Amino acid sequence: MKGNSMAIDRRKFIKGGLLATGAAMTSPAVFSSGAQAAGEIKVGVLFSLTGGLSIVEKSLHDATMMAISEINEKGGVNGMKITAVAEDGASDPKTFNEKASKLVIQDRVPTVFGCYTSASRKAVLPVFEKRHNLLFYPTYYEGFECSKNVVYTGAVPNQQLSNFIPWIIKTLGKKKFFIVGSNYIYPREMAKVSKILIEKNGGQWIADEYLELGHSEWGSMVNKIKNSGCDVVLSNVVGDSVVAFYREFKNQGLTHDKLPICATVTSEIEIAAMGPEYAVGSYTSFPYFQAIDTPANKDFVARYRKFVNDPKAVTHHALECSYFQVYLWKQAVEKAGKATPEAIVANIGGQSFDAPGGKVTVEAQNLHTALTPRIAQWQADGQGKIVNAYDQPVFPLPYVAYGETESNLFCTAKGLDSAKLKL
Amino acid sequence: MLEVLFIGLSLGSVLLLVALGLAITYGAMGVINMAHGEMVMVGAYVTVLSGIWLGANIFVAIPLAFIVTALLGLLIEKLVVRKLYGRLLDTLLATWGIAILIQQAVRLEFGLSFFGIHIEGLGPGLQNVAVPEFLQGAFSIGGAEINRYRAFIILVTAILALLTWLIMYRTPIGTQVRAIIRNPKMAAACGIDVERVNALTFAFGSGLAGIAGVMVSGFKTVFPDMGTPMVVDGFLVVVMGGVGSLLGSVFSAGILGEINGLVASVTNDILARAVVFGIVIAIIILKPKGLFALKGR
Amino acid sequence: MLSKRHTIWAIYAVFIVLTMAAPLVMDSFWLNRVAKYLVYGMLGIAVALSWGYAGILNLGQGLFFGAGAYMLAMSLKLASATSLQQGSDKPVPDFMMWNAEPGAPTELCCINKASFLWLPFQSQWFGVLMGLVVPMAIAGVIGTIVFRKRISGVFVSIITLAVVLLVRLVVIDAQPITNGFNGLTDLGWLNVGGFEFDPYVVQTYYLVAISLAVVLIGTRLLVETRAGLILQAIRDDENRVRYLGFDVPTYQTFFFAVSALIAGFAGMLYVVVSEFASPTFLDLQFSITMVVWAAVGGRASILGACLGAILINTISATVSETAGFAEGWKVVIGLVFVLVVLYLPRGLAGIAHDLLDRLRRRTPADTVRVGDATGASQLAE
Repeated sequence: MKGNSMAIDRRKFIKGGLLATGAAMTSPAVFSSGAQAAGEIKVGVLFSLTGGLSIVEKSLHDATMMAISEINEKGGVNGMKITAVAEDGASDPKTFNEKASKLVIQDRVPTVFGCYTSASRKAVLPVFEKRHNLLFYPTYYEGFECSKNVVYTGAVPNQQLSNFIPWIIKTLGKKKFFIVGSNYIYPREMAKVSKILIEKNGGQWIADEYLELGHSEWGSMVNKIKNSGCDVVLSNVVGDSVVAFYREFKNQGLTHDKLPICATVTSEIEIAAMGPEYAVGSYTSFPYFQAIDTPANKDFVARYRKFVNDPKAVTHHALECSYFQVYLWKQAVEKAGKATPEAIVANIGGQSFDAPGGKVTVEAQNLHTALTPRIAQWQADGQGKIVNAYDQPVFPLPYVAYGETESNLFCTAKGLDSAKLKL
Repeated sequence: MLEVLFIGLSLGSVLLLVALGLAITYGAMGVINMAHGEMVMVGAYVTVLSGIWLGANIFVAIPLAFIVTALLGLLIEKLVVRKLYGRLLDTLLATWGIAILIQQAVRLEFGLSFFGIHIEGLGPGLQNVAVPEFLQGAFSIGGAEINRYRAFIILVTAILALLTWLIMYRTPIGTQVRAIIRNPKMAAACGIDVERVNALTFAFGSGLAGIAGVMVSGFKTVFPDMGTPMVVDGFLVVVMGGVGSLLGSVFSAGILGEINGLVASVTNDILARAVVFGIVIAIIILKPKGLFALKGR
Repeated sequence: MLSKRHTIWAIYAVFIVLTMAAPLVMDSFWLNRVAKYLVYGMLGIAVALSWGYAGILNLGQGLFFGAGAYMLAMSLKLASATSLQQGSDKPVPDFMMWNAEPGAPTELCCINKASFLWLPFQSQWFGVLMGLVVPMAIAGVIGTIVFRKRISGVFVSIITLAVVLLVRLVVIDAQPITNGFNGLTDLGWLNVGGFEFDPYVVQTYYLVAISLAVVLIGTRLLVETRAGLILQAIRDDENRVRYLGFDVPTYQTFFFAVSALIAGFAGMLYVVVSEFASPTFLDLQFSITMVVWAAVGGRASILGACLGAILINTISATVSETAGFAEGWKVVIGLVFVLVVLYLPRGLAGIAHDLLDRLRRRTPADTVRVGDATGASQLAE
């Protein structure tokens, strides 16, 4: 441990040196472009506009831009306009890393809104942590992260599963789970949390299977599901694979009324792409659905469709988070009175906002967001009918798979308490 | 067990569907067409667009997609590929660039998105292809549940393979194509219009990719990047089968499909894919000319 | 008047001086960005060596880049502060906790069945050594099998392509020890004698720039050796060289392995400047892209391929950061690929050679021959 603390001291020393050389080397031209001109705040927006992931990330980009333009129309932040510097992550962690350092070091934005996959977040994280900047991350993810340089506004496993699994067992009366997911960390963590909850609620899981990300050949897997004797499928399948999965499911003669797919990732996007007839009767757990029946949400959907000039555009959970997180950021900047990463982080905790899907609050302890878990059943019109919802937002627990509870937090304002992290 | 074999057969038929066009453009013409996957993608988008704008179903889309992609293929042949005959690896690089261009054209709605114009059915998102009711679900034969759509794919693939075989082996133009495969210079000396035959062959191969696009759009996802992984699998099938041998492609697609299906049912899909890669590598090392090598000079 | 050989060396010198002088005019962001592009330039050299000089188009060069990157990243992962926060006194990568069985000991030796493989990587120099040895060893094995069987041309390309995809699948699946799809992130900094290479300091830039200069000169000298000449003869006519009594597969395997070594070295430097290693290094797209860099610069020119990589990446970055082109930049890149292959088959280096020859009033007959060393003969068979 001694060696480590010395290393950190050395690192601080080097950083001081870096700042000094950096300042000495920087030309005046760079200063004027990077520093904040009076009357505007530059922020970074970093999603994939090209490549495979743009199918989702383009919509997150659009939602972020919409929030920014709305705020600007209403007078900006503290009287200053927000200027978005939008970059393309090109669905490639290498590009994400490069563009993040451009935004943070060259453009000197105090905050970047961006990233969809965990892989891209992990690739940009060192830039934000070591350069003391701030990332607003709008996607549901696997948890197990306690960074003071990231504000997480999407759901963590306990906000998608803590109501879902007991509900499946008690209300649907299903007890034998077939867990299937894409082969990476989010589905595996979701499976881990699910298994804990399934066993606690008196159910059992009979299989835990994975497919390559982007895999669209479901013949064998669905055949396996059919012959497994399960009575419910818990799907953590991500991205374009989802469409092929639901289609194959129906095409092999399985029906959601006998053997429902209960999903944690299937959103309005995938339902629209597969055709609702393949999903009717299946369930998804998310804090937000397009069908949430409030005036605020209907207005939000209408504005979004107008903004992207597509009367059939759908809204979904990560999109909603991309939208409201800009407003949370705005409130923090207003409270701080200045737009530096340190000031924003110091003031983001406790910020609440009436998002399209209801009230959301950033928890000061772990910089994750309290959201309201909901369960929806997919209908023939491609919309989710909310069949179950918490009456209030649920506290985010990024380490729930390792025994974290609201009264025993692992990730606090002081950082991660690693002593609690035992397997 | 019957179901597992059926799934393997359908995996093989999807592979063959994509590989058929490649077997012709690569096998016959010595063009590594990396944009072949994008032709599949274009075929899928033709299905999407004809569904939205013409109200047409998947059956109408098949000839439409063939025509559109064949014309696109013709254009690519005239503009780019024509200048690269005999430079095998250069065709790979140039068509890689073309693949990027086609993807971006779809994603940016032919550039119209810059002007704020949105065409329904294009753009970066996922698209939906409606499948006729009678092709959804399953029917049962001898106690086994058979997936209707997969049966449909197998049928179409068989028809296309047969048709391609007939054209290649039972028509004058097919004879010309085969003459060019064996020896382009000799063929030209015998009075075959090599340029014209090459252009038509490339267009035909691209058209087959378009039909493949229609078929996969009914059970996979339609989006601008959908073609890239398919082209790799297609090449592995063609090379393993033996360049220039239609029969070889049919066999290797069937073998790889069945192996994939069997291994996946016993273990898992990830291992199954690894085994398929392993087998392809082993076969190319042991028989570099492929299973059904063409003998010729 | 200078001989052509001297002129070429003079151009090398100019390039190296320019890379060394870059810190005078660049801020820390651009230094880091250019350092990444110099790493890509090194990859371009690796491609030019195997494709341009050996006639082996490797469509799996990313395998060697990735192998080098992962080996060093393993060491740097263990050196990171978070690896010490997993409830153990000794470093344990945080992601190993994720897939571990409940109740498993939080020790690197035995947290999962394969985690002991990480033990020697606690020494950073072991990671560095492996980053060089592993890519070379893989290339040695592939080369020995493939070239002894006299497989050539497009079949080598397909085999390397299938191998890289196979390895990618395995790396993503072996999550407990590789962190799967997310790759190795949150790394420590390379530490040499107490100095830590922060990716944004000028010393790190020089680490990359000097490495590139060494690789550039080394490769150039290597292809001018007798072995290098024999290699080029093999490229042009394998059988003739074989009849002359040379052991063709040994030469091919040797240069294939050197090319892998360079790619692996580039992978390690990439980890130093980017602070992560990811299975996307093993993507087919990446491997093909680097071949295109080399084609743009000139596949048979070592410096040309290196410059091609730097140039294409600079264009990509500049165009994609131009207002209005964030979505359209790939169109520009696609067009460049097509146009270069069509109209500049020998790449930028081809233009440079022609220009040199014209200046020296010579017929361009003795310019470096670039045939598609494989395509035509393949087809004829």
